[in-house]
Amino acid sequence: MAIKMHVNGVEHQLDIDENTPLLWVLRDHLALNGTKFGCGRGLCGACTVQIDGTPTRSCLTTVAAASGRQISTIESLVEQQPDLVEAWVEENVAQCGYCQSGQLMSAAALLATNAAPSDEDIDSAMAGNICRCGTYGRIRKAIHRTAEGRQ
Amino acid sequence: MNAPPLRNLSRRNFLVSSGALVVGSYAYTTGFNPALASTARTLSPSVYVAVGSDGIVTVTCHRSEMGQGIKTAVAQVVCDELEADWGKVVVAQAEGDAKYGDQNTDGSKSIKNFFVPLRNAGAAAREMLIQAAADSWGVAASECEAHDHAVHHNASSRSTSFGDLANAASALDVPTNPTLKSRENWNHIGKSRVHVDAQDVATGNATYGADVTLPNMAIAVMVHAPVFGSSPVDVKVPDSAKENPRFIGIETINVTPGPIRFNPVGSVAVIAEDTYTGIKIADELEINWSDSPNQSFDSDAFQQALRDAVEQPGKVWHQVGNANGMLDEAEEKTEAVYETPFLSHAPMEPPSAIANVVDDSVEVLAPVQDPQTTRNTIVGAQGFALEKVKVTPTLLGGAFGRKSKPDFVLEAVELSKRLKRPVRVQWRRENDLQYDYFHAPSVQRYEATLGENGMPTAWRQRTAFPSIMSTVAAPNMVEPANWELDMGFTNTPYRCDNQSIEAAGLKAGVRIGWLRSVCNIFHAFGANVFIDELAEQAGMDPIDYRLAMWEGMDVVQGALPSEPGHEFKIERLRNVLQKARANSDWDQKIADGRALGVAVHHSFLSYVATVLEVDASDPNFRVTNAHVVLDCGTYVNADTCAAQMEGAVVFGLSAAQRAKLTFKDGTIQQDNFDGYLIARMPDAPSISVELVDSDHLPAGVGEPGVPPIAPALSNAIYRAGGGRRRSIPLI
Repeated sequence: MAIKMHVNGVEHQLDIDENTPLLWVLRDHLALNGTKFGCGRGLCGACTVQIDGTPTRSCLTTVAAASGRQISTIESLVEQQPDLVEAWVEENVAQCGYCQSGQLMSAAALLATNAAPSDEDIDSAMAGNICRCGTYGRIRKAIHRTAEGRQ
Repeated sequence: MNAPPLRNLSRRNFLVSSGALVVGSYAYTTGFNPALASTARTLSPSVYVAVGSDGIVTVTCHRSEMGQGIKTAVAQVVCDELEADWGKVVVAQAEGDAKYGDQNTDGSKSIKNFFVPLRNAGAAAREMLIQAAADSWGVAASECEAHDHAVHHNASSRSTSFGDLANAASALDVPTNPTLKSRENWNHIGKSRVHVDAQDVATGNATYGADVTLPNMAIAVMVHAPVFGSSPVDVKVPDSAKENPRFIGIETINVTPGPIRFNPVGSVAVIAEDTYTGIKIADELEINWSDSPNQSFDSDAFQQALRDAVEQPGKVWHQVGNANGMLDEAEEKTEAVYETPFLSHAPMEPPSAIANVVDDSVEVLAPVQDPQTTRNTIVGAQGFALEKVKVTPTLLGGAFGRKSKPDFVLEAVELSKRLKRPVRVQWRRENDLQYDYFHAPSVQRYEATLGENGMPTAWRQRTAFPSIMSTVAAPNMVEPANWELDMGFTNTPYRCDNQSIEAAGLKAGVRIGWLRSVCNIFHAFGANVFIDELAEQAGMDPIDYRLAMWEGMDVVQGALPSEPGHEFKIERLRNVLQKARANSDWDQKIADGRALGVAVHHSFLSYVATVLEVDASDPNFRVTNAHVVLDCGTYVNADTCAAQMEGAVVFGLSAAQRAKLTFKDGTIQQDNFDGYLIARMPDAPSISVELVDSDHLPAGVGEPGVPPIAPALSNAIYRAGGGRRRSIPLI
């Protein structure tokens, strides 16, 4: 069926099964490949996007549920929060990098609501994002660095 | 180690369209600044480096990038010798080709094996550029020097940029034995550099296996047999699927007879125009599977068989004195059994591969650790001529050893061949956990008697685990191999005048493979916890006890001879341990409710000591701090080394705290991250890393940080009052 979507400020009209998870719409239909598939069950956070500013697992969110709402993906982050992207690079956070889109989208949502998160705040907000390479310490540093830069 | 000779590739047609490797119709750029991609690779004295007339230096990385930072490190080494500007270097990913030398990116050996060949490549290009400048000025090359991406003749204050010299330099003979820079003049080697893909990663632009799309490509969502060794017998496709215009069809793949190796397992592939259609229909299939010899495999029973094995004498690998007689007659001895479970690599990127078979040729783009083995495996399985098989690695979204086994690539090749169109195979997390090449479970039994000074007088250690060789070589090769035992067992630094070292192997009903640091994981665990137990018996501090055991020792011998220049030196092991002792304030009274545990291990020719601090008031003994000291000899990217140690702490905690895989009736019991419990942000401690400043030969970095973690945690928990925990998972 025809579904209207707003992704990174662009409107799309798609003729698609309304139960299709947002993840696969982004990747297979809109060629926005920055959002990653990790587990398919909302357990790892690799597919995290923001819907109306809330970090959301796109693998569990149907395109119907996302329709009509503002969807932001990693591809728009460098425009939304360039200092966060820069901090990620400066801290040399990524190893393999596969989970980092989701990490960044969770971190961006945290910083949007908490200007100076503590380590505990970060642990809590980021607990749903697995990094198998173990970059957690640098993620904490990059979030703190971004927050301090905005003071 | 085979590295290609320096030879002049400049006159060959080195043109590439738009400065990008072109794979089919998909332009595969890998530079960290693709805008810089050179259109003119004019001077190329080696397969690893080219200097364009536009001044852009293209470094070709022939090893796979899986987060260990090899693309960056390779560029640093070449750039240093070349005296190039870091900002004018791009990194291209090599396809699988023997001309690059070994491309098997495992065993933490990329820098160890290619440090000198890469330096030679950069140095040869530098000498040719200098010669070209000297010729143009009519001066001796010895009067000229290269720095800052140009050649300079200081006496006449003349300079010419590399780009302007590249064409003339390409006509010169390649020096066969270029002079390498002296260590004190290095300006990139040993320094910290941000990874070349960091910006692409942080903006969602990095390309992994599943991110490549070819025209007319179909998606294959795999349904693998629930039991290893089964093939699909019949498949019922729901009527709703048949009406779905985005559903293409199903294909069945049967078990390959003979040794397991990297052959595909039994499966049904759901072919669709997009991934979700494939997933939806995959979940609705009704499949009957054939019987399998592994359908009664049970991990609890297997663990018991391993326990039984270490109660019996094993194959003797080392025996001195009268260990057996003394231990069997001893009235008092210390003995302990240590156990570790099946583990999975679980890289965040599940296996995925693209293959495009056209007539008698195939192109593959996939996250593989060894494009040459992948290529050769395709040749062996499918009968293509080698020159008709092209394999280019994408970025690997984590690998840890999993992606050196190209079973998922063979699926893509087989399906593309049948469908006569490009196919991207997509595994789900469930496929990944079910059909890993698992890290072997193991049991170790240690026994020792102590003399009056607390030092061991007799010592017997036995290990039992399923050999990787039974999977990747031949089914009857169940005995642990010498190289597996030299991962912390036969090369143990804990020696005694009366000692017996024994091993036994059992065949598992699932595939066994190497996982980051391999057998070192369980061997470091048993050895380091047992040493702490002996120290307690002796009434000594665990670090003092280790140091006392090493009194008078120089070099540790294993089952295999040492590589030249890479002897296992006790002095270096002692050094990292003493540094970790200092860095962790081991000898100070630490805050109430905290406890420290230590472990030290030599692996991949490097030396690592780790002290973990746990919160004794937490029932789960949360790790609050980690102090790691690494001696990997000469290192290239200091920050990468630190990052690898940080990552190894977290990876090691995953392997120590909660992760465990079990099998019933041949079927895995944990199918996703709710059953297989990986360390998350709240589990990650603060980590300090010290790199030992060393001019020894480069050694491993990616793996050696992992082995000390589990034993250091067990030892810390004991000192925190949590009891002696000898079986992983520890929590």
